[in-house]
Amino acid sequence: MSTTLDIRDVTCPLTWVRTKLALEAMQPGEELLVLLGDPEAIENVPRSVREAGHDATVEGSAVRIVRR
Amino acid sequence: MSVLSDEELERYSRALVLPEWGQAQQLRVRRGRVLVVGAGALGSPVALYLAGAGVGRLGIADDDEVELSNLHRQFLHFTPDVGVPKAHSAAAKLRFLNPEIVIEPYPVRVGEGNAPGLVADQDLVVDCSDSFATRYAINAACCGAGVPLVEGGVVGFTGLVMAIRPFETACYRCAFPAAPPAAPSCAEAGILGPAAGVVGAMQALEALKLLAGIPVREGFVQVDLHDLATTRVSVPRRADCPDCGS
Repeated sequence: MSTTLDIRDVTCPLTWVRTKLALEAMQPGEELLVLLGDPEAIENVPRSVREAGHDATVEGSAVRIVRR
Repeated sequence: MSVLSDEELERYSRALVLPEWGQAQQLRVRRGRVLVVGAGALGSPVALYLAGAGVGRLGIADDDEVELSNLHRQFLHFTPDVGVPKAHSAAAKLRFLNPEIVIEPYPVRVGEGNAPGLVADQDLVVDCSDSFATRYAINAACCGAGVPLVEGGVVGFTGLVMAIRPFETACYRCAFPAAPPAAPSCAEAGILGPAAGVVGAMQALEALKLLAGIPVREGFVQVDLHDLATTRVSVPRRADCPDCGS
């Protein structure tokens, strides 16, 4: 199952906060596509996602996450 | 997508990014009803940290008025507050810090008579009083109502913090069956402000963990403010404890 989180108007560190909270509400194996606008976030969010143990793939200014 | 508002997400963002914390923990804190007994040296850090963290309903009980000699350590109160009831002085600052929560001042002395009523509908009590009579009354009331209690005390360069889950862990009376014979108060023994700050901050931390469902250790911690060292003391429940014994 795949969900999209559009946070293109959100700046760091709330980008990771929103992403983290969305992931917490998901089941393992589910997919989350996060649309980002803040250039800092495009660097920071994938790193935070991986540090939290999930899979992150950067697609342009979006991050595709598989919740572990 | 989340139940927390955008403003709450921002206000609590630095906690929300912790691996140990998330929306579930923040919502538990928001639903929490906590009574802080004492708006003095320990109550100041406790109440400010709990209000800052978003405890939904925070009661603060103190029957004293602010005195000049309080101000070096009781940082809920400022110079123009001298003569003002501490519960109200505290409430004003707490509301200013976090307008999203409910602050309930109780300008009363907490003792055997009113402790059960005050504790009855709380999720947690934090004892920041300077009186052993209050301490034991609160312990008995929390055991009677099954309400978790974070006990704390400090004088001079020695402090103590104890998280109590009635009937699961030792209560205050299990650890200390009777008050010490001639317990000095800060008026006699003295204290540097930050010594109380350390103990109060530890109490606030244990309180947040208890509200959020994060494990806390049983027993108590003795804090040595000369060496900045802590010693953990495990305390078994006493079967014959008057407050929580079987």
